[in-house]
Amino acid sequence: MVLADLGRKITTALRSLSSATVINEEVLNSLLKEICTALLEADVNIKLVKKLRENVKSVIDFDEMAAGLNKRRMIQSAVFKELVKLIDPGVKAWQPTKGKNNIIMFVGLQGSGKTTTCTKLAYYYQKKGWKTCLICADTYRAGAFDQLKQNAIKARIPYYGSLHETDPVVIAQDGVEKFKKEGFQIIIVDTSGRHKQEDSLFEEMLQVANVVSPDNIVYVMDASIGQACEAQAMAFKEKVDVASVIITKLDSHAKGGGALSAVAATKSPIIFIGTGEHIDDFEPFKVQPFVSKLLGMGDIEGLIDK
Amino acid sequence: LSGLKGLVGAKSLTEEDIKPALNKMRDHLIAKNVAAEIAERLCESVSTRLQGKVLGTFNTVASTVKNALNDSCVQLLSHKRRVDILRDCLEARQQKRPYVVTFCGVNGVGKSTNLAKVAFWLIENGFRVLIAACDTFRAGAVEQLRTHCRKLNALHPSDTHNGQKMVELYEKGYGRDAAGIAMEAVNYARDVRMDVVLVDTAGRMQDNEPLMRALAKLIKVNQPDLVLFVGEALVGNEAVDQLTKFNQALADHSNMETPRLIDGILLTKFDTIDDQVGAAISMTYTTGQPIVFVGTGQTYTDLKNLNAKAVVQSLLRG
Ligand SMILES: Nc1nc2c(ncn2[C@@H]2O[C@H](COP(=O)(O)OP(=O)(O)OP(=O)(O)O)[C@@H](O)[C@H]2O)c(=O)[nH]1
Ligand SMILES: Nc1nc2c(ncn2[C@@H]2O[C@H](COP(=O)(O)OP(=O)(O)OP(=O)(O)O)[C@@H](O)[C@H]2O)c(=O)[nH]1
Ligand SMILES: [Mg+2]
Ligand SMILES: [Mg+2]
Repeated sequence: MVLADLGRKITTALRSLSSATVINEEVLNSLLKEICTALLEADVNIKLVKKLRENVKSVIDFDEMAAGLNKRRMIQSAVFKELVKLIDPGVKAWQPTKGKNNIIMFVGLQGSGKTTTCTKLAYYYQKKGWKTCLICADTYRAGAFDQLKQNAIKARIPYYGSLHETDPVVIAQDGVEKFKKEGFQIIIVDTSGRHKQEDSLFEEMLQVANVVSPDNIVYVMDASIGQACEAQAMAFKEKVDVASVIITKLDSHAKGGGALSAVAATKSPIIFIGTGEHIDDFEPFKVQPFVSKLLGMGDIEGLIDK
Repeated sequence: LSGLKGLVGAKSLTEEDIKPALNKMRDHLIAKNVAAEIAERLCESVSTRLQGKVLGTFNTVASTVKNALNDSCVQLLSHKRRVDILRDCLEARQQKRPYVVTFCGVNGVGKSTNLAKVAFWLIENGFRVLIAACDTFRAGAVEQLRTHCRKLNALHPSDTHNGQKMVELYEKGYGRDAAGIAMEAVNYARDVRMDVVLVDTAGRMQDNEPLMRALAKLIKVNQPDLVLFVGEALVGNEAVDQLTKFNQALADHSNMETPRLIDGILLTKFDTIDDQVGAAISMTYTTGQPIVFVGTGQTYTDLKNLNAKAVVQSLLRG
């Protein structure tokens, strides 16, 4: 399972609470150390891990705590809350609206899986009965249009792109105009990979966003990313209005923790995850069931509310 | 790392003296994207080495730890067998056979793009290159390489090279067995006297057994001169698992006494990570193999040699 390793380590650490005879600061510290190590090994951003540790500690004050309180339960619930906070930005996920055209623009680092995921998303909505299409606004990467075209043809999804036009802004604009006219409900725009260190690429992204006026900008993240995630995700969010995150390549051994810091940095929810190279290796993502599965617990919500 | 200037007298260092500084150092390495497990092991070895040593009069524990770590990392990145591709290509040419390089790695790390950069570098050095399109799976993979060949030939037109075409593509479309295409490509290169064959392979996850088996087969039957693992500088803790499992798969599926393993690393997207250079450490530590090239951008000239000192400086800065 996705993040299984991390889940196992955290539950093991939490279980050690039940076997401890007294719950004191020492026990809490060693528990936190175990959990933090597990998070760091899963690539969760080190600043977020430090904050988690501090937040849990600030809730549990051994000097002030009344003797009768159930410290085990308080610690568990504090840890759960912090973990949910890592994955859940507390923002409702974007949904397409029936009866209008919904424009979705994909952005992200080079090779993160945008083009592949574009087709997966189009296919997902198509199966649900939406009239969907794809636009290739990547004129930079060699073979980009061929890639999108071959994927689209295989999935029988209408597509638009150009082998001659070199300006992605023009292609995006023309494509969106054409598909709007033809009454498409979900119009997905694929763009080139880019990174914050190259201004001109970021400027281009902004221009594409400006001409297509997307209803949803999706930031595509590779599950294996490490500590550089935060700075990149933050920069994308500052330039364009990222509203959703998709994490790809979760079929690897990767624990995906690095990508989670994209959630914190963009304050946007994860809406889907990619779990393979094939078109249906794709699942909608829901935070709460995910965390409970992660920790092998049924009633997290119950725990958190207490 | 300021605030760590706890001066210790002229007594020799104990594990306890070193620990606080080392803990900070470990967190620092993790923040710089060194895999957690490797940061831990590096720090342990520094601790062992420093225990019992007497501090210099003007040195703090923190600076002593930092210096020791600096030396370990520089050594890790530079004290390595050198891979001299140009020399080996010349040697192969004298033996009237093509020099063969296989590029492998997980999905999307930059195999094909950096293969094209290596082709450019070889052409600039006067070698004729055959690119073997052995990613017969991913949409657009063949067209991607065809585009690179066209661009490379435009940069080095045959009339500036005694009428010889400097780069060609060997492709058989999609769906066919990669190992077979690689072999045909090598034979073709030998026949038409091309100097180097660069074999592009499909990206694959290290846990995907059928795909790992197929890669092992490609390498076993073709015995390339150089097996390059392409990894991206963005990768976190996963770097360790990728390299370990690629090597393991090459060993397990080869049925040979001395299987061909990864000979070197091509570290890509080095331009996207600022000073979070830790993946370079994780990858070399895991394999003990050198970083042969560093990819620093998306154009043909964005291919560099690793500067160990500069990388370690970035690693320890801040
Ligand atoms: N195993 C696996 N591979 C994936 C997944 N998603 C994408 N890939 C692979 O990752 C590689 C890169 O995917 P692309 O879709 O080309 O990435 P991109 O972001 O469009 O790349 P650029 O346009 O160059 O920035 C390809 O080999 C894909 O097949 C996934 O969920 N699992
Ligand atoms: N910034 C930057 N981008 C790079 C670098 N190397 C490759 N890329 C980009 O990374 C993306 C993926 O590159 P590819 O060469 O297609 O990767 P691949 O490993 O062949 O991908 P698959 O064959 O799908 O597994 C492309 O957009 C490249 O332009 C680099 O050094 N720096
Ligand atoms: Mg793409
Ligand atoms: Mg490729």
